[in-house]
Amino acid sequence: MIRLLNVSRHFQRGPDVVRALDHVTLTIPDGRFAALMGPSGSGKSTLLNLLSGIDRPDEGEVEVAGRRLTGLSEDELAAWRARHVGLVFQFYNLIPVLSARENVELPLLLTDLRGPERRRRAEVALEVVGLVQERFDQLPGTLSGGEQQRVAIARAIVTDPDLIVADEPTGDLDAQSADAVLALLSELNREFHKAIVLVTHDLRALRWVDEVHHLDKGRLLAGDEALRASETLEQALGTARRHAKVKP
Amino acid sequence: MNYRTLVSRNFSRGRLRTVLTAASIMLSIFLACAVLTLPSGLAALVERVTSGSRVLVHNKAGLSYMMPYSYLQKVRAVPGVTAATSFSWFGGIYDEPKNLFPNFAIDADAVGDIWAEFQIDPQAIADFRRYRDGALVGYQTMRKFRWKIGDRVTLRSTIWPVDLDFRIVGVLPEPHGNPMWFLFSRTYMEEALRAKGLSADFAGMIWVRVDDPANVGTVMRRIDDLFRNSDAETASETEKSFFESFMSSLSGLSNVILAVGFLVVAAVVVITANTCSMAIRERAPEIAILKALGFRRFTILGLLLTETLTLALGSGVIGAVAAYGVLKLLAALGATGARPGLGPLSMFLVTPWHVLEGILLSLVVGVVAGVVPSWGAARKPVAEALREVF
Amino acid sequence: MSRAIPLSYSLRSVFQRRTRALLTVVVMALVVLAVTVMLSLVSGIRRTLVATGEADNLIIIRKGATNDGSSMLPIEAYRAVAYFPGIASGADGEPLVSPEMVIQPFFYRPDGGRENVLVRGVRPVAFAVHRNVHIGKGRAPRSSSGEAAVGRAVAARYAVRLGGDVRFGRRVWKVVGILEAGGSSFESEVWVDVNDLWNDANRSIYNGLRVKVAPGSDPQVLVRRVAADPRWTLEAKPEIDYYREQADSANFLFRLTLALGLIMGIGASFGAMNTMFAAVKSRTAEIGTLRALGFSRRSILISFVTEALAIALAGFAVGVLMAIATTLGINALMKGVAINLMTFTTATVDLRVSATSALQVLLLATLLGLAGGFLPARHAARLSPVEALRRR
Repeated sequence: MIRLLNVSRHFQRGPDVVRALDHVTLTIPDGRFAALMGPSGSGKSTLLNLLSGIDRPDEGEVEVAGRRLTGLSEDELAAWRARHVGLVFQFYNLIPVLSARENVELPLLLTDLRGPERRRRAEVALEVVGLVQERFDQLPGTLSGGEQQRVAIARAIVTDPDLIVADEPTGDLDAQSADAVLALLSELNREFHKAIVLVTHDLRALRWVDEVHHLDKGRLLAGDEALRASETLEQALGTARRHAKVKP
Repeated sequence: MNYRTLVSRNFSRGRLRTVLTAASIMLSIFLACAVLTLPSGLAALVERVTSGSRVLVHNKAGLSYMMPYSYLQKVRAVPGVTAATSFSWFGGIYDEPKNLFPNFAIDADAVGDIWAEFQIDPQAIADFRRYRDGALVGYQTMRKFRWKIGDRVTLRSTIWPVDLDFRIVGVLPEPHGNPMWFLFSRTYMEEALRAKGLSADFAGMIWVRVDDPANVGTVMRRIDDLFRNSDAETASETEKSFFESFMSSLSGLSNVILAVGFLVVAAVVVITANTCSMAIRERAPEIAILKALGFRRFTILGLLLTETLTLALGSGVIGAVAAYGVLKLLAALGATGARPGLGPLSMFLVTPWHVLEGILLSLVVGVVAGVVPSWGAARKPVAEALREVF
Repeated sequence: MSRAIPLSYSLRSVFQRRTRALLTVVVMALVVLAVTVMLSLVSGIRRTLVATGEADNLIIIRKGATNDGSSMLPIEAYRAVAYFPGIASGADGEPLVSPEMVIQPFFYRPDGGRENVLVRGVRPVAFAVHRNVHIGKGRAPRSSSGEAAVGRAVAARYAVRLGGDVRFGRRVWKVVGILEAGGSSFESEVWVDVNDLWNDANRSIYNGLRVKVAPGSDPQVLVRRVAADPRWTLEAKPEIDYYREQADSANFLFRLTLALGLIMGIGASFGAMNTMFAAVKSRTAEIGTLRALGFSRRSILISFVTEALAIALAGFAVGVLMAIATTLGINALMKGVAINLMTFTTATVDLRVSATSALQVLLLATLLGLAGGFLPARHAARLSPVEALRRR
């Protein structure tokens, strides 16, 4: 379970203070596939950073999977992330000089597992995400965008984390690859019971996620505002939603 | 795949940049090694050629003031003195003035005792005693003019109006003999000078062999006491101290060259730091991702520093070893007389110890150059790092 | 029609990535500093020695001697040579021939170190023959009075004062004058009356003669006459040639400096190349735009080479200033650098950054800039506009 209580975060941008998040309270139950949506600068990435233990709030409490993150130091957060969170970014995910398999092995360096075991788990993860065997030893530069994101997802699950967090994973992909990635994430959520929080602009995600949270100017939209936001999106999408539900 | 893979794979990136930086470091450590030899090189030279049992007696006022020849007998009578010989600069030229080598008139009977460690062939010593016109020549001078034992050579003195004809009876052999000296019998010179109506009653210097190095201080005092308040007061000093004072005036020059060497190292630190910061800046996204994945900042610092240190150390080893090889080669060429102009280069005596110093220096370069950019990149909190990248 | 890229663009671009450019300038400056200091030492030695020689003087020493300390000249030779034709005469009608004895007594530095200093026993005519040597302060030593005129560098190095005493040889001398000779090696000598020196050294000889050639006379006539004389084996040489030969140590040092400059320079140009390649890489899109706008390959090449040159020249400027400061500092603190002359005596050399040295280093810096900038510039020029613009 993810719980954020009255969380605020601001940044110094030159002479101005930017309020990235303004007293946000949010709870996401176990095992859900959730999306954070909103216009640019609405604070969705900041929120994602807070609940994945990458950043610390200036005010408020963050609790994930029963662990209180707010009091932890930078190094303690790092250790927690390594064990409990899988991360997927929009680009720069993979280290260019390591092969697909080696990239997936990377988080396992932080565990006690030995070489052969690490290798095996990496291969299992790659199979789960559906990458063909021939590609295992290839460098990211020779893989397509969609394949690279699969590898990134494989890396995100290889440590068997409680939570997978993805910041605009489909942003750089074409329509077909984007759909494939979203389908993969959905499968991980349903079959393997991974909680997933997605930050995205991509309207296609609405078809796959369990719940959507809207942000605007650092505030979490609720009640009427949220409803209106959803309706706008649905209209934009223009098709009936199957799985998406809006939390009032 | 392990941490080592991460470090080694990164070298394949920016290959040109790595090669250029490595080349800079190699060259600079090469130079630094050569320069580092200077202070100890001069000291080592002194250690190598001096004996703890030899003392030099000269006029207190200066070497060119000379002493009466009669001093030699008196010195030989001093308790503790096992052998003594006069040693007078002849200033003779063989072919061209610039090919000057040091030549001295000495007492033929004492040469084997005074310079016992030269290990001169006993036959040569016997011949030297037997033949008035005999000469003992250092191995480098022999090689330079391609002389052989039995050759006749003529030296034209510049300070005396005499030319002398010699027969080479022996060599001051490698490795312990003095490489340059040309020694001949004083009696021979005395005859020639007398024929010109000049007095030969002088000794430029007197070399003395003392029975025990521990007695050297006492013997020196006894000798100087003998001649105190005379027309030619003496100052005795150990062979080591004599050579050291010879070298001491070179210290100013040596310091300038050392300072230049320091500048060389400073320059390469700056070059490496520049490269390092460029490389790290280029990998900012990757470093951010590693941090996000849970790698500690300390680990990242370690990774980055290891890369810089590997580069610096690797290049430094090559540069230091090259310095060893090249300078040894040059010195050998200079010694054989093939290229006498390189002779002074033999003062850059690179020993394995200097190679080690050079390698350590490259390590320091790596740390100093790498630490600032690496520290900065590693220290940054992960959220900030990600924000800068995305 | 190819337009040239404006110079201001090139210059501004260089310093866009300030840290990187600055670091490269620092490297260049360090190379310039090192090479300039060494060159100033070389030119200091050469200047000191060459300045010592006077155009219309000859030195007469024993044939084959390399210096007047290692030579001997019979008194009869002196008397004969003095009346050779072609020699200038002094105000009193006497020939300007200066017979000199040279010896190298020990002098002790204030820190206790011992060095040989060249002491020259002269007759009063010496000051007329050596016109470049003046009594800067005080007066010339009188005959047989135990007086000495001490060169300026000697006074500084061995802490000797005008009016004070100095001990060398077998006695104490009174310092009655300070010799000044335009920075030449005479300033590292001590001049005394030759009779006093004969007494002190217990030898009454001359080592050599200095002769002033009569105005309008051909010095070579004298040289030939001296060489041809069967009575003695002497040779006469113009002073300038004589002192130039003494500058051997400078030649070795010069070659060493060249080697050093070359090696350091190569290292530095590698550093510059790194910076320039990185600059090209980060400005790929910009280059693409320029090419698309119609600037030719050549103009791109020239622009980047100009940037490299700008860095090199900036480094040169900084380095030369630092070198000047350093040499001034060394001269003031260490009172110059001591070198061993061929006479086995110590002379002090002032480091001075000469115009020639500065030009030589400027050439080096320019070459380094070109070397460091050329390959990256060529790479930049070869980028195709389409590719360049496509790359992010």
